[in-house]
Amino acid sequence: MSETRETLVKRLETQARQVRRNIWRAIRAGGGGHVGGSSSAADILAALYFHRMRIRPAEPDWPERDRFVLSKGHANAALGAVLAQAGFIDDAVLDKFYAFESPFGMHPDIKVAGVEMCTGALGHGLPVATGMALGARIQKKAFHTFVMIGDGELHEGSNWEAAMAAAHYKLSNLTAIIDFNKICQSGRVDEVISVDPLADKWRAFGWEVREIDGHNMQDVVDTLDMLPLNPDRPTTLIAHTVKGKGVSFAEDTYLWHSNSVNDEIYAKALAELGLP
Amino acid sequence: MNAPENTPAEWRAKSANQTRLAFGQALLEIGARETRAVVVSADTQDLLGIRPFIERFRERFVEMGIAEQNAIGVASGLATTGLHPYVCAYAPFITARSMEQVRNDVAYANQRVVIGAAASGISLGVAGGTHHALEDLALMRSLPNMTVIVPADVNEAYRATLATLEIDGPVYLRLGGRTDEPPVGDPEAPFRLGKAVQLRPGRDVAVIACGALVEMAARASDLLKKEGIGVRVLNVHTIKPLDRDAILAAAAETRRIVTAEEHHLAGGLGGAVAELLGVEQPTRMRMVGMPDAFAMVGPTGPLRAKYGMSADAIVAACRALLA
Repeated sequence: MSETRETLVKRLETQARQVRRNIWRAIRAGGGGHVGGSSSAADILAALYFHRMRIRPAEPDWPERDRFVLSKGHANAALGAVLAQAGFIDDAVLDKFYAFESPFGMHPDIKVAGVEMCTGALGHGLPVATGMALGARIQKKAFHTFVMIGDGELHEGSNWEAAMAAAHYKLSNLTAIIDFNKICQSGRVDEVISVDPLADKWRAFGWEVREIDGHNMQDVVDTLDMLPLNPDRPTTLIAHTVKGKGVSFAEDTYLWHSNSVNDEIYAKALAELGLP
Repeated sequence: MNAPENTPAEWRAKSANQTRLAFGQALLEIGARETRAVVVSADTQDLLGIRPFIERFRERFVEMGIAEQNAIGVASGLATTGLHPYVCAYAPFITARSMEQVRNDVAYANQRVVIGAAASGISLGVAGGTHHALEDLALMRSLPNMTVIVPADVNEAYRATLATLEIDGPVYLRLGGRTDEPPVGDPEAPFRLGKAVQLRPGRDVAVIACGALVEMAARASDLLKKEGIGVRVLNVHTIKPLDRDAILAAAAETRRIVTAEEHHLAGGLGGAVAELLGVEQPTRMRMVGMPDAFAMVGPTGPLRAKYGMSADAIVAACRALLA
């Protein structure tokens, strides 16, 4: 039975809600964590892992798989959630966030099935993803490489070294998704160090740019399905998102970039997120 | 195995006694033997003599420009797809500037990336302190998973580069600059990773050297031999993993150890030897290398002599231990 566009979007919305519940669950298990940037990324991650990416959870090293690099590695709770829901890792791992000898720490570890690179030190993902896309080009492989970068992360200069190189090599098999939630650790990005005009910056570096609503599943899916947007350019998707999306008291505040979560807060969050 | 791209006489002539060029010559052979080998340049096509590789294997070459952080990240990404990247770069920039990328993307992620680092030490003496690399061994050998190699001459540089075909992990290969490094040792000797090469026998003192200081250590040994003093010379081309057995044997048999390298006295070969002996077999030591200072500008030869990296300095260190 083929899925209609409407049922696809409904399914992904449900799965994204489950991702958010799992983010809170993991962070509750760890006693705290990066709720804000994990929740802003949840819809896009759901669309990638449960629709767009060609992956084989039972064969995580399948050479032809699409790659996803979570450059903003502090959102690892979200990555762990999608990896568990997709079947790369055991669901029980989500309850071992930060635990002694757990494979699931604050930042992604390449030793975990489905994780493509050790990230979290910011500004590393785009160069690595550029190498993956070049590796596909050199070996005439068809896989696509996605990398998610935080907005504050764009302060790191290494991003722009890679942006120049990827455009130079016309890597249309590379898509950078900016989780533009407008907030970094100390406050609003435009008050810390502004990244505006963001779309113009990427265009000037030679990328094809599209701005999307990172919480509108229809918009996210329609855009991902159109990739590559330009046969001669890498793509930047500037996803306008809300930090802490889904739980009112965590939304749009730097206080929930990272915060501690106790049972009472966890219960309130789950109540707002609704049933899985 | 395919026919070599170059005969030994050809690649030696093209290497002009400079280890950086021997690396480029060896890449040509690696390209022919290993189809997964790719070369990543940081605007260093002539520095490491890789234009022959580029002409022969254009589809397996990527230029990343003057952007070392990106070059390392890209190399790591290439390696994850099954390729074997060789990064060609300046030692001072690819280590100090890209240290976090080397640590996280290469060493922590344990990717098969070989870094060919030219212009190490004070081999670009006239370029000044910005272009000297006197802390690179300290940085690289402190990284888990990393193999660190310092060839002493073009023969060793060529063979060590070929040896990376068998190393399934990160490698730092330290190369010289635009200064000739005279041949030392047997040009036909095989390169054995992690195994020191004894160039001179001796039971009075042992000099443990790497890189350009190996030839100076051999000269120092020859000078002292005329006085009846037996100075063993070990070429420890692999800083990590260290040849513990050869070093412990030298310490046990001579009871006097001199280390010699073109690197700060802190953290390099001397540091590695001191760490080993201090724990396993405390032995009187002297260390020859760069003192805790930034070098002034000057031609490499006179600079080495000024800062105590010379055959004379090694002789003096041996005498101090014998006094």
